Order: sequence, then structure tokens, then C-alpha cells
Amino acid sequence: MTADTFPKLLDRNARERGPRPAIREKYLGIWQTFSWSESRAEVEIVAHGLAALGLKRGDRIAIIGDNRPYLYWAIVAAQALGAVPVPVYQDSGAGELAYVLDHAEVSFAVAEDQEQVDKLVEAMETVQTLKTIVYCDPRGMREYDQAFLHSLDEVKKAGEARKAVNRDFYEAEVAKGQGSDIAIFLYTSGTTGNPKGVVLTFDNLISMAEMSVELERIGEDEDTLAYLPMAWVGDCVFSIGQSYVAGFCANCPESQATFLTDLKEIGPTYFFAPPRIFENILTSVNVRMQDAGRTKQRLFRYFMDHAAKVGVKILQKEKVGAWARFKYWLGEILVYGPLKNTLGMSRVRRVYTAGEAIGPDIFDFYRSIGLNMKQLYGQTEASVFVTVQPDNEVYADTVGKACPGVEVKVDPESREVLYRSEGVFKEYYKNEEETRKTKTEDGWVHTGDAGFIDNNGHLKIIDRAKDVGVLNNGSMFAPKYLENKLKFFPFIQEAVTFGAGRDHAAAMISIDIDAVGNWAERNNVAYASYRELAAKPDVYEEIRKNIEQVNRDLAEDAELAGAQIARFTLLHKELDADDGELTRTRKVRRRHINERYGAVIEAFYDGRDEVHCEVETIFEDGRKGVSAADLRIMDAATAGTAGAEPLRQAG
Amino acid sequence: MKHSERTFGDTLLRVDNITLRFGGVKAITDVSFDIHERQIFAIIGPNGAGKTSMLNVINGFYHPQEGTITYKGNQRHQMKPHEAAETGIARTFQNVALFRGMSTLDNVMTGRLLKMSGPAMRYYHRQFADMPVINYLTYPAMWFGDFLLDSLYWGPYQREELAHRKAAEEVIDFLEIQSIRRTPVGRLPYGLQKRVELGRALAMEPDLLLLDEPMAGMNLEEKEDMCRFVIDVNDEFGTTIALIEHDMGVVMDISDHVVVLNYGRKIAEGTPAEVQADQDVIDAYLGVAHEEDLIEK
Repeated sequence: MTADTFPKLLDRNARERGPRPAIREKYLGIWQTFSWSESRAEVEIVAHGLAALGLKRGDRIAIIGDNRPYLYWAIVAAQALGAVPVPVYQDSGAGELAYVLDHAEVSFAVAEDQEQVDKLVEAMETVQTLKTIVYCDPRGMREYDQAFLHSLDEVKKAGEARKAVNRDFYEAEVAKGQGSDIAIFLYTSGTTGNPKGVVLTFDNLISMAEMSVELERIGEDEDTLAYLPMAWVGDCVFSIGQSYVAGFCANCPESQATFLTDLKEIGPTYFFAPPRIFENILTSVNVRMQDAGRTKQRLFRYFMDHAAKVGVKILQKEKVGAWARFKYWLGEILVYGPLKNTLGMSRVRRVYTAGEAIGPDIFDFYRSIGLNMKQLYGQTEASVFVTVQPDNEVYADTVGKACPGVEVKVDPESREVLYRSEGVFKEYYKNEEETRKTKTEDGWVHTGDAGFIDNNGHLKIIDRAKDVGVLNNGSMFAPKYLENKLKFFPFIQEAVTFGAGRDHAAAMISIDIDAVGNWAERNNVAYASYRELAAKPDVYEEIRKNIEQVNRDLAEDAELAGAQIARFTLLHKELDADDGELTRTRKVRRRHINERYGAVIEAFYDGRDEVHCEVETIFEDGRKGVSAADLRIMDAATAGTAGAEPLRQAG
Repeated sequence: MKHSERTFGDTLLRVDNITLRFGGVKAITDVSFDIHERQIFAIIGPNGAGKTSMLNVINGFYHPQEGTITYKGNQRHQMKPHEAAETGIARTFQNVALFRGMSTLDNVMTGRLLKMSGPAMRYYHRQFADMPVINYLTYPAMWFGDFLLDSLYWGPYQREELAHRKAAEEVIDFLEIQSIRRTPVGRLPYGLQKRVELGRALAMEPDLLLLDEPMAGMNLEEKEDMCRFVIDVNDEFGTTIALIEHDMGVVMDISDHVVVLNYGRKIAEGTPAEVQADQDVIDAYLGVAHEEDLIEK
């Protein structure tokens, strides 16, 4: 029998590496370890218990809560019975939760604690199918006497009893499972419209897990931290898929607040985090260094400067002089090693980041102290893996090469990235229209992201495909790509770029008052307000340097060279979510900005040097006012293109 | 919460005609009330009404000149604080009274001290408060054997330490303060310090928990958290809670029974709704008569 489902893989692991750790949880301050054979026993009991409650093949069962061993076991127990687990984001509101439960026609739910039970009970008013709720943590549940609520202990007792009379049931049910069966529904958090239920089979998940385990040489001795939401495809593939395939241990942190402590205690060998987390960690390092003594600070700065020079080269096994190597070795003993230990990364063999663009400074910081950080590009629909950066071929602004077994192409017309692999999802649940729109007859999946293959053969993702436009000179214009590049400069808080259907690209920039204010103080530039600071010629000059740097970077890419920023202005106010200029998650709301700043945009293209700008603003107390200023528009130098490269390579 | 359906046990603590004087000043005059098991009991009143004095009388810190206190059926005229602690009364303070240089975990562990069973420990708690240190040192065999084994972290002492650590960790889990387990409490924001103090009191596994202005100086979010914990403690462990609080919203939301003091006298008693409607209480809080005097002058 080949192990083509997770319950079968669990059986295999219990047989072949029974006493090795499968999952850990920090509980009451102590890491509790469960071996593969213990996990197998727990899953069997829980499966019996759920069967006793009436869960049967084909039913859907919602899983909601933080990463906990028993929630992972509930997923596998449900799969063993042939039911389909539907993990739900633990912080989703009652409305969103009700939509997902209703759409997936969930009849069972396993909840972590009272908080989640409350939401489920509220959702039950509209979700007719949901009939049974199992909760794990009994705290605060004493007053609940509804008959449809069952504690996990109760379920396990029922499971024990059922197992005693029905010995072969579990094995028989597991044997019925096949690789082509539906393994899980994962709802994608749609930015527009309702979430879509991505249906993944065991074949999808296991093929991608096997591919990545082989590609990255992941063994059974790895440790990972299972801290990202269970409803996210990454956690499903890393903490269940790869863990079950390779047989390594997933570690569940104590709570979301203790994540950094737990990270340090576990010292994972294999770590994934979105750029935001790496940013936060770096900020906390810098803040704490400022509190350190002078000697320590100087030591830190000296060796970090050295690491910035040679660290990445040493990591990539490039040629570096003996003296520089010696200094790096010394730095490893004095600074990098202790620092990595504090961050919980001294055992890390590979670090992944994905999800959004990472700042090159942040990326280089981690790589320079010897962490093998790489970017990958993936989607729920792909069972995570589309591209990943190979070792020694790592760049801050690409997402790498297609993974083995994955085909990637770029549509030459729309510049949309498409891929095809064994990991490609079966369908969107009960949404044939979207399925047909996203997945072609021959298995290619539209990502909705625009990108291109660069000169190194790496995929670069630049923007959502629908936002990408064309300049009048025929060059591609990807606003978010330019804005991200601009925002990585410390002086620039937000940037909005224009250019689709125009002669050149232009940028509207709001400065970062903290960073620029600090700089102004040190350079004797007096200012009284944001508006005054943003209008200073010296500040314009600094931002111009940033923009010209971006232009030089762009010139190196044949695809983007034509989209260099020719003109820019500094806004007299910060872009603000209260004024509807940004979303609450700080994404630019283009249409709204085009309306509000129409006059400025016109001025970019009619050659004026100054423009009067008036916008309505909403103060924190809800009153409205008008913020007006005369904005100066400045030209920035554009760099020449790097030779006569063909404009289009991809496709 | 199903507040309306709440049922309470027998009288846990009965205060009978208590009068407390400091010299010529009468802090409390002839106050009586009953606290029932599993109740959340609030004592409210304007500044200087004698609320904290009342709490200090209950846990034996002040000794009233008149009146009796009956706790768990035992009538007493006077009781020492450590006796109160041993019989299951724990408290928190108006100003946070933690060991600022010690970690959260260590502070919570001090709450377990009374539960530690080694002979020296037992002796320590019974005698130490009243006895010069030198007398204690005259029992060398006792403290030597005990402390030596304890400090070697061996045998039954290890087992005991583990059991207490587990109890402390359960409190930490309950109050959701895992992330500050190792942080010195002096570094924590005020709201969290209050929570640690509650944790230390909970570690004593009290039957009666006295909270002196648990939400004072907190922001709205911290207050809501604290309310939740007070209700959870009552609900989960069945702990009887007597609290003093200034925030009327909090008192009205979470208490089952309210006693109102003014100038050391009880002026009203009843459910929150009853007390809220009481004219004496309204006058005491708003000071209607005084204000009119001022305006006339």
C-alpha cells in the first residue's frame, strides 16, 4: 500500500519512526512532545470519537483555532474517516465565518476554545447544516449546556469505547482513502467578493510536499514552528504535508504573543515568515542595540558593516579575500552568532519569505549574517509551490525559478503569470464559473499577477495584472512595482505612480515625517510642520536622489526601462486611510486618488512646475476641512537603457 | 453570562456591627453585611468612605474596636493577616504591591508560599511573623535539613517544587500572561502589573478574594480584560470576590450585590439596580445639597 493520504503517511511514520517527535506544543510553560506513535494513537481515538458523533465519509468539518496538536489531529482524523476538513481563519468575524461554513455545508466543527465556540454558535443561526460542535479547551464552558456541544475529552472517551468494540474500523476506513480524494477545502481571503473554497486533493498536497522535501533536502531531524494560521495553505503544506512526508517535528507556540520567545527556545532548522515579521524582528534588534553600551554598539556596527560587504558573498560561496574571511569569522563569534541565537535562528538551515515584496535592506541584513534566506512564490491554488530561488541564486527582487515539476509561463499580451503542476487545485467548491476562469482546459492556472522572466531566468512579480498598463512608448507600466521600490527608501512613506496611457511615468510622494524630520534636525534644516518640511528644496533634492536610484535600477531591466520616473512632487499631507486614500491595510486606492489629485496628475504631463492642489480632509473628530497648497513639480534624470535588449523575452 | 440565574451558597463571611476608630476618628461606624459563597460583592462609596479600611478589617490588618466577623462559621474578634491568608483570604492592593525586580513567574510563585509543605516552611509561616529571627535560628536541625534538601532540589522537594510550578503556570495560562513570564514586573505597564498581582492572589487558591480597586488607572481595554478575568475567576473556580471599585459602570456590570458606604456608614445595600435607584446613594455621589449651598453663597 503506497502512502497516498495523510492518514496512511501517519501510519507509515508511526511504524518507521514511532518514537521520534511528531509534534510539540508549549503548554503550561513546558514543551510537551508527542511522538509519531502517540500522534497515531490520538488520531485513531479522535476518529472513533467523531465517528461516534456521526461524522461520515463526505461530510465537511470546520477546524477553527490557533495551531494546536489536537486541531491538527482532528484534521487527519477527519481525513481518515473520509470527511473533508475545512480550516477557518481563527480571527475571522462571525459574518465571514458564517459565509464559509454555509458555503462548505459544514456539519461538524472543532473549535479551540470558548471564543471560537461563541462565534460558531452565532453562525449556527444562519448555517442550517452545522449540527455538532466539539471544543478542546473547557475553560469558560461550564455555563454552556446546549446538546450539540461536546468537549474533546468527551469525544475521546466515546472514541475509546467505540474502539473497544470496533477494532478494525480505523484501519478499514484509512484503507478506503485514495490519493485522488479531496483532502481539504481552503478558503482564500478574497480582496474582492466572497472567499473562494479551493479544493485540494491528497495528490496535490503530497506531490508538492514530496517535491519540496527533495528539492530542499528536508530530513526527519528538522524542527519548524507552526505559527501561521491553519487555514492558510502554507501551514497545511509545511506543518502537515512536509512534516508527514519527511517525518519532522512541527512545534506549536504557546500563544501568538509568545511567538518570539518560542522561536528562540525551539531554534527551528527551517523557518517561514512573511516580510512583515522579518521587518519587525530587525526593528526590535535595532531598538535594542540603541540601549546597549557604547562598546557593544561599536562592535555591532563594525561587524555589521563588514557583514554587509562580504556576508552575502561568503554565503553564496563567492571568492573573498583571506583577511575579510578572517574578520567575518571573528564577527561570527562576537556578533553574528550571538545575534542569530537571540533571534532563534542559530540552527536555521533555510529561511523562506513570500507573500509580498521584501525590502532589499532587510533581505540583505539576514543574508549577510549567514542566514540562507530565499523567496518563493506560491498560491493556494498551486498547493503553495510555483517558483523558489535556488541556493546561490538569490535576489531581493525576484521570486526564483520554477520548481521541479512546475511549468511557468508569462502571457505575452496581458503579462499575466500562468503555471501548471501536479499541485494544481481540483476546483473552486461550488463555483464552476470561477474555476473555468482561473483554470484552463489543459491545466494552466491564471495567477492574476503580472510578471516577467528576467535576464537570469528568474520570475519577477510586479503587480496585479489588472493594474498593469502601458506607456505611450510601449513600455510596461507596473505602478505597485515602482511604488514598492520607492517605499523601501526610509524618507518615503507612501508613493503613488502614474503613467498608464501617458508619455512618461510620474510619482506623487508623501515623506516619512519621522525619518525626514530626524535628518532635518541633524542638517540644520528648520521646519514647523509637515507641509513646510515637504516643501523644502533640500528635501526635494534628497528624494530626487532616491528616484534617480530607482531609475538606474529600472534601466537594468529591459522590460521596465521605459517606465522610469521623469517627474515627481512631494505632497503637503500624508496619504491617509481616513481620507480614503489608502485602505486600512495601507494599500493605495488608485481610483479615489485619481479623482482627488486630478489637477496634480495633469500638471505632471503639461510641463508646469507648480500646481495648486486642494483636497478635502477629514479630521480625527470627524469634521471636514480643506487642505490646500501650491506643490512644486520636479524633474528627475532618467538613465539610459542597458543596450539593445529585446523588449520582450518571456512567452 | 447568565447573571439573572446566578445562585449563591451559604454566608461565607458575616460582618456584624463593625466600628473602627483611629484615635478620635471613626473610620467605620456600625457596619454589617453578609457575603455569600460564589458572590461578586462590591463595596462602593465616595473617597474617604472607609472602603479600604473595611477590606483591611476583613483580612485582619486592622482590628475593629467593636463588632465581630464570622468567617466560614468561626466568629472572631481579631485575626492576624497571615491567619486570614491561611484560611483562604487573598487580596490585591490599591497601589500595586509586587516585587518589582522579580519576574512575573516568581511573583506568582510567592503566592504558593503558604501551600508549600516542608516542615520549615510550615514553621516559618506559623511563627515568623511574631518572632524575632534569632528564635527561628535556634531550630537548626529543622531548617538545616529542610533548606538543604530544598536547595539541592532533590527527592520530595523536587516533586513539591514541580507541583507548585504547575499551579503557578496554570494561573499564568488562565490570565494569559505567558508572554511576560520571564519579564521583571517593574518593566511591565501598569495594567499588566495589576494582572500579575491578581495572579499572585489566585496562586493562593483563595476562597475569598479581596480586590482593592482592581481597575483603577486602567484604560478601557485593560478594564474590559480585567472584568472578564474577575468574572472568569468567579465562574471557573467558584471563588467569592469582594471588590472595591470607583468605576460605577464596572460595578454595575459585574457585581451581584453592592454595599454603599459614606463617611464610614452603610447607606444602602442591594442589587446594582436597587442601589442605583437609591436617593441617598445619588446624594452621596453627586453631593446635591453641598452644591446648592455653594451656589447660594
